[in-house]
This record gives sequence, structure tokens and C-alpha cells, in this order.
Amino acid sequence: MSDYQHSPATRRILTSLVPVICPPEAAELGITDAIVDHVGLTMGVLPAAFRAGFVLGLRTYDLGALAFPPARGRRAHRLPPELADRYYESWLHGPTPIHRQLAIAIGQLLKLAHYEQPAAQERLGYRPAAWIEQVKRRRLEVYSADIQRHAQSLIEPDPLPGIAPHARSSKKGAA
Amino acid sequence: MVAVARPALRQDVRPDGVYTRDDLHGDTVLDADVVIVGSGAGGATLAAELAEGGLDVVVLEEGRYWSTRDFTAEASQMIRQLYRDGGATMAIGNPPVLYQEGKAVGGSTVVNGGMSWRTPEKILDRWWREAGLDGIRAKDMEPYFERVERRIHVRHQDPESVGKDNLLLKQGADAKGWKVIPNLRNQVHCPGSNNCAFGCPTGAKQSALVSYVPRALHFGARLYSDVRVARITRDGKRATGVVGHVVRADGSNGHRVTVRAKLVVSACGAIHSPALLDRSGFGSPSGMLGKNLSLHPNVKLVAIFDEDVRGWEGVHQAFQVREFKDEGLLFAAVNIPPSILAMTTSHRGAELGALMADYDKMVVAGMLCEDTNTGRVRNVGGKPQAFYQLSDFDADKLKQGCALLSEMLFAAGAKRILLPFALGPHAGELKGPDDVRRIFSEPVPKQTMEVVTVHMMGTAAMGSDRTRAVTDGFGLVHDVDRLMVCDASLFPTPIGVNPMETIQALATRAAHHVLSNPRRFS
Repeated sequence: MSDYQHSPATRRILTSLVPVICPPEAAELGITDAIVDHVGLTMGVLPAAFRAGFVLGLRTYDLGALAFPPARGRRAHRLPPELADRYYESWLHGPTPIHRQLAIAIGQLLKLAHYEQPAAQERLGYRPAAWIEQVKRRRLEVYSADIQRHAQSLIEPDPLPGIAPHARSSKKGAA
Repeated sequence: MVAVARPALRQDVRPDGVYTRDDLHGDTVLDADVVIVGSGAGGATLAAELAEGGLDVVVLEEGRYWSTRDFTAEASQMIRQLYRDGGATMAIGNPPVLYQEGKAVGGSTVVNGGMSWRTPEKILDRWWREAGLDGIRAKDMEPYFERVERRIHVRHQDPESVGKDNLLLKQGADAKGWKVIPNLRNQVHCPGSNNCAFGCPTGAKQSALVSYVPRALHFGARLYSDVRVARITRDGKRATGVVGHVVRADGSNGHRVTVRAKLVVSACGAIHSPALLDRSGFGSPSGMLGKNLSLHPNVKLVAIFDEDVRGWEGVHQAFQVREFKDEGLLFAAVNIPPSILAMTTSHRGAELGALMADYDKMVVAGMLCEDTNTGRVRNVGGKPQAFYQLSDFDADKLKQGCALLSEMLFAAGAKRILLPFALGPHAGELKGPDDVRRIFSEPVPKQTMEVVTVHMMGTAAMGSDRTRAVTDGFGLVHDVDRLMVCDASLFPTPIGVNPMETIQALATRAAHHVLSNPRRFS
């Protein structure tokens, strides 16, 4: 995992894309910054070349708005909501696979980040941790004998047919 | 603002015999009878059997050592920790195929669904017949399958662990009169936490991490996590060991690690094994190293019901619909967290919010397709890159599968279905059973298909003929001494079912071969 952090420019562009990609609740819940932070965490584990390409793509996306007539010379992160939406659509249905793939990747990272926020999950009623704790406890209460039996079997000798276990050579090497 | 990770996963429970980057304070040289690169289904199984047989085994694993208590429902954090490149790995083609590999002690068994099926008899017969593999038919493999199933505790689920999404899937299959069977899974009273793909938080799933790895350690194997192997060393045509580096926290190379061994085993999966052999200079006279990549293309669809489903409450894939097995299609319910589901839809903004408001009413169903085309893995800039072209035949099969699966889910009461591809210029959505025919009447642009996989196979295939296969029937590389492959790379063909148990049975068989021929490997 790299120690990647967004540059101020990347952060500005991603922040401007949150209302384009994420549900309106992102603003209501006050999680826009958290979403952009989360995108950074994901980018930190992407292959370096992929990450560099994505950052370059974001910059290109931002500057590309200068050539988008309705934007009237503004960069993407400065566009009002309706125009920002139209500009994103223009990339999503863009002329080359690179336009389309970048738009899809932006959307995927932001949507992932949005629904990883506890507040967004709570709004869906998605509470997996509570479920896991409940069933984990029940399993140990009901089946502990079987669980122990299998755990013990994992360390009992069971040589392959025709293979006699023999004293292993001593460990070598130095750590 | 600085991005801050949630609290780090705990690593305070580490068994004897496991060494991490924190233990390696300088360049390190180890000697062993056997060095195994990779600790997943193949590597861990082989390690346990060889260690029990008395050999001195060192296992090297690029990923970290995590324990059961480290696994949580925080999906994206788990993906960052447990998947190679955060899961953003892709075979280039039209459409691109996203694939995922585990990168942790236990390999992909830590993040798989836990399906444990024997290799179908017809596949083993085909390998015997077409690849000339002796001792590979069902009756020959029976003791190895039986042994693996005992070790990883292959069973049907306890009934109380089955959730509503799976019951609806079964209800749909029953309504159509289709064959549906309970899945066999490697689990000890799995309670249905539905977190398989992010590490089992209950310890019920018998991944290599909690089965073969502890067994290997018990019999004296040493396991070094956080070590990335650069190449296999050689002396002429004989493999002599491996050289790699400690992986630092930032992913860069740290101290050098050298292992000298009498037998070298590559068990790092069908993407990385051929790449490791290739960059170590072990070409194959067959020219097949890295070729023959098959990957069971998967697509999923989302069915939305009127009633509450809460798909995260209950086991992952309790059933498999086997009605179309002979056509190479399997169906199952595969709940995924909202974040992953959202990122795979084409919805955004308010539309996305409206869709996700029904998350608790969704059944996510996936299908596995036994593919007919093959791709390849190449080293690009020192790293493996997969290339794979979905054939028109398989694309049609996936469309057909989606139509069948949609019919089945409508029969179970679904109100609408989101497809994994566009219909004409629009997002693919079906509003009722009468809509299913649109899958065939409207164009489905191949590039809009969302294809994923976790079953990469075949890139160092077994076969008796050294001019057509990379390894012999035990995974020993043709024309090289003391070099073995032990993972799904070995499969001569796709197998049409989940591959873990096949890998483990082949590893057990390979261990038996090594231990039965001590002079050859001493």
C-alpha cells in the first residue's frame, strides 16, 4: 500500500464530481470530504501506473471542459451542477474508449466510496457487523464441540498411504 | 485534509513458524528441502503434506499474515488488505475481464466463496484422454479428494444458515422444475455471516489460512509472509532456489531473501506462476507457458423483489442451479455489499439513490460459464498482464444464461431485474417476464458486458507430451529438474466448477509423488 494522498487539484476535481455521481444524500449527510478521502485510500492500493494514469485522466477531464462549449471557458470543477452533469455525460458517451473508461472509473471509485460511509450504510439499514456478531456467538454456543474436534484433527498425524513419517531435518538458515 | 485509514487490522495473533517483515532485519539466506512460492490452495496443501512427510519446507508469501479476528464487514478495507492491487486487476480484451486474486497468507482461499467440488468425471476423463495424463481419472483421484474433504471439512450448510436470497433462488428453480442442489462448502458449521469474500470473520470457512497452513506449521514448515519472489535461481537445467525481497509497508522492496532448496515450487496462481517461470528464464519447449488461459467468465444480475430479502443475512451460495451444467452454466445467489453493488451499476446521482434504497430487497445472482476461448499471460515491464477475448459463442451463452436466470427469478417473484449489459443504447433492465425476450431481440454490445472472474486456469498446463504441455502430470516442469508448478495453472482445460478442491487434490497427489520418490528429490 502506498502512502498516496490527493493533491489539492485532484481533491478539487473529485469533490466537484461527488454531486454528479453520488446520490444527493452525500450533501445531506455531510460526507463529501469522507468520500473523497476514501477514494484516496482506494487509489493507494492501485498499481502505480494505473494510479498515475487516473490522476492524469482527472486533470485532462478538468481541463477538457475548456473545450466544452456550454462551459464557456470554465474548468470542470467550476461548473454549476447541471452543466457538470452534462459534461460528465459527454465523457461517458465520449468519442474514444479512453473517455468512456475514465468516466466509468471515476464513477466506480466515487460510488464505492459513498456506500462505504457508515452514514450511507445506516440509511440503507445495512448493518452487517451486528449480524456477524450475532451468528458468530450462536455458532460457538451450539457447535463448540464439533469445532474443537475439527481443530484437533488438523494437527493429528495422518500420513499419506505408504509414506512413513520420519524425523524432519533440523531447521536451517538464519532470519 | 489527509486521508486516514480506519483502525489497522490487528495482527497480534501469529503462530510459531510464521515470520513477517518485522522479523527480517537484514538480507536473509535460508536452506530447505522444498521452497514453495505462494500459500494458497496449492502451496499450503503441498506444504502440509510434505512437512508431515518429513521434509523441511519453507513457504514464501507476498501478502500479509492476517488472522480470523482481523476480518470484518468493512468491504473496501478488506479488499485493500486482502486482494492484489485492491482487486483492480484486469485481463485486456473486449470486454475487459476484471479478475481478483487473494494476496495474503492462505491466498485466494481466504477470499473465495468456499465452494468445494470435485473435478467433474468427464473433465478428468478428458485430461486422461487428451493430455495423456495417467492416474488422473476419477477412481485414481478419489483418495486425494477424500483426504482434502476431510481436512477442509466439506459439508452441506446447516439449514439455519441459509438466507432468504438463497431460498428465493431455490424457489425460482423449483418453480421452473430445474435441478438445484445444496452447495458443498469447506466449513465447520458456517453460520452464514456472508463475509466470505472479505475474510471469514467466524473462522468457519476452512480456508488454507485456518486448515492447511496451521497443519504445515505444526509439522515444522516455516512460512515467511511479506516476501515477493523475483525469480527462481538455476544451475543449468536444475532449479536451485529463489531470490526475492521483503515487501515494505509502502510496497517497495526491502531486504533480500534467498532460499536454497532441492525442490522449487511455484504455487502463486495462473497469472503469476507463468510470469515467474518466464522471467526466471524457464521457457517451455511446448511454447505454451502463459498460454491456454481460461477463466470461467462470470456475470451477475440484480433482481429486486417487493419483500425484504436482506441478502447479507445468510450464507453465500447455499445452492447451485445445475440444470444447465451440461451447457457449461451454473447459477447461484451471491450477495455483495452495497458499495460493490453500487460501483457495478450504471446508475448515478438521484437514480443511484433510488435504486439503492431497495438494497434490502435485492437478490444478486451470478453465473459461471465454462469458457471455450483461451487467453494468455505475458510479462509486461516485469509484471504479468493477462489478455483474454470473450468469444462470440461464450458471449451468446452468457446472454442465454441471463435470460434463463431472469426467467427463474421472475418465477420467484422478482419485480424487476438489472442486467449486466446494455440493451441497445439503454441500460439493461427487465420489468417483467415478458421483457426477457428483449435480451435476444435487442443488440447487446459486447463492450458493455460486465464480466468478472476469480477462476484463472491453464497457463502452465499438465500433459505427457513435452511439445504440447508445460508440466508432467505431477506439475513437474518438462525439461527442467526439480521445478514444480502447483496451482490452477496446471489445468489442461477449464473444469466448469469452482477450482479450489481440484487444486488441493492435485497438490496432495503431487506431494504423494515427491514423498514416494525420495531419491529423485534428495
